Amino acid sequence: MNPRLRVLLVLVTAVALEGSLLDELRIGGVAVELLLLVAVLTGYHGGPERGAITAFFAGLLHDSIVGAPLGLHALVYPPLAVAVSSLELRMLRSTPVTDGIAVVAAVAAGQGLASVVGMMFGILGPTTDEFVRQAILAGILTGVVAAPVNRVVRWAATGGLPGTIELRRGAG
Amino acid sequence: MAAPRPAERPRPTLLLLVAVALTLLTLHIRGSQPLDAFQQGVRDILEPLRTVTDTATDPLQTAWSGVFGYERLRAENERLAVELARLRGRSMSDDADRELLERLLGEIGLDYMRLETVVVRILGTPPGNFGTHRIEVDAGSDDGLRPGLAVITGAGLVGRLQDVDRSRSTVILATHPEFLVGVRLVASQDEGLARGTGRGTLRIEAGIRLDADISWNEVVVTSGGRSLLPPDIPVGRVIDPDEDAEYERSVVIDLAADLESLSFLNVVLAPPESDPLGVESAPIGDPPS
Repeated sequence: MNPRLRVLLVLVTAVALEGSLLDELRIGGVAVELLLLVAVLTGYHGGPERGAITAFFAGLLHDSIVGAPLGLHALVYPPLAVAVSSLELRMLRSTPVTDGIAVVAAVAAGQGLASVVGMMFGILGPTTDEFVRQAILAGILTGVVAAPVNRVVRWAATGGLPGTIELRRGAG
Repeated sequence: MAAPRPAERPRPTLLLLVAVALTLLTLHIRGSQPLDAFQQGVRDILEPLRTVTDTATDPLQTAWSGVFGYERLRAENERLAVELARLRGRSMSDDADRELLERLLGEIGLDYMRLETVVVRILGTPPGNFGTHRIEVDAGSDDGLRPGLAVITGAGLVGRLQDVDRSRSTVILATHPEFLVGVRLVASQDEGLARGTGRGTLRIEAGIRLDADISWNEVVVTSGGRSLLPPDIPVGRVIDPDEDAEYERSVVIDLAADLESLSFLNVVLAPPESDPLGVESAPIGDPPS
């Protein structure tokens, strides 16, 4: 399958799940940020450019289903995907635990940044404590579902290429 | 896992994407209609997919609610039992309050309960974590709804419609910091502009005279006029008249409608651009003769 079609399929599935099932499975009023997770993982697996472009469209879709002004999440997600990709290249050693912590931190940062941008544009009120709680909880909840999503995004973003080590060597 | 390919140019791409996102955001905040239409189109396209996924995953959702919502439901049940007992005890007082409200509304010549409305059911909060002080309802443009229409309960104003899709709509609650409504204090007849505080109340930010005689518990209704909402819908009662203000009064209003325990709402079918003077002479929504 064409890699772009794979990414499109992942985005459409993610938006359908985020708008239905995951919207119901809330803890403390907070839901899983699946599209943000897809953006972060695409940056991780697909490299900065592919990650940024996918994250941009994930942001636009997210803006549309949550009723945020168009461009708000699309503004936050691409830099986050590039940052994740950049950090991934600089990491000397990664383990499932460090990867998991990185995903939780990246999602929390993305959620927090979106709230900050919302406040800057006067869309959200200044309830900082609530946003911090929401960002941390969203990070943890999203981290819980990261493992299966990771496999799907890797399949979509790498276009069926071999795994990590071969790719690194190939690039050098 | 993947190193950037030699042909990748992440920095220019990122700058371009950020510039596009900023442009879209600015245009949308300034009220660009095509962007609203684009978002509505995306939601309409996804709506069948959401419905199918919703139906397919219903057993899982029910199980989740049973596990994680049981304590909340039990607490809610206990709270409602206490509330019921308290309300029974206060029924005399409530009757008196209602009588006062009806008398006051009668004085200004409109019974807001005669407004033509559509009953909608609350589906929950909008997807994602961006929807504080907003709720989703199960009716949309197919039911004659449009953005800007007032949303009320028997107790008074709840909010207004923000995004209206074909079969779903988003209501921005009156407590949202973005919610603005023109209000009138029924006893003193002062008018002002109230904004949600994000904390369960509204605050009149502008328009109230510094020497206005405002009493605690004074009834506040929508003022109509240039506001998008019809006039004379009860908003709430004054809980802080800010009598000690030196430069500008900042009156705090407690909402009449309880936003915590909503199930069904009424959307007032009044066109936002309707003439408020015409409203006072006939019930809203009456066909023109």
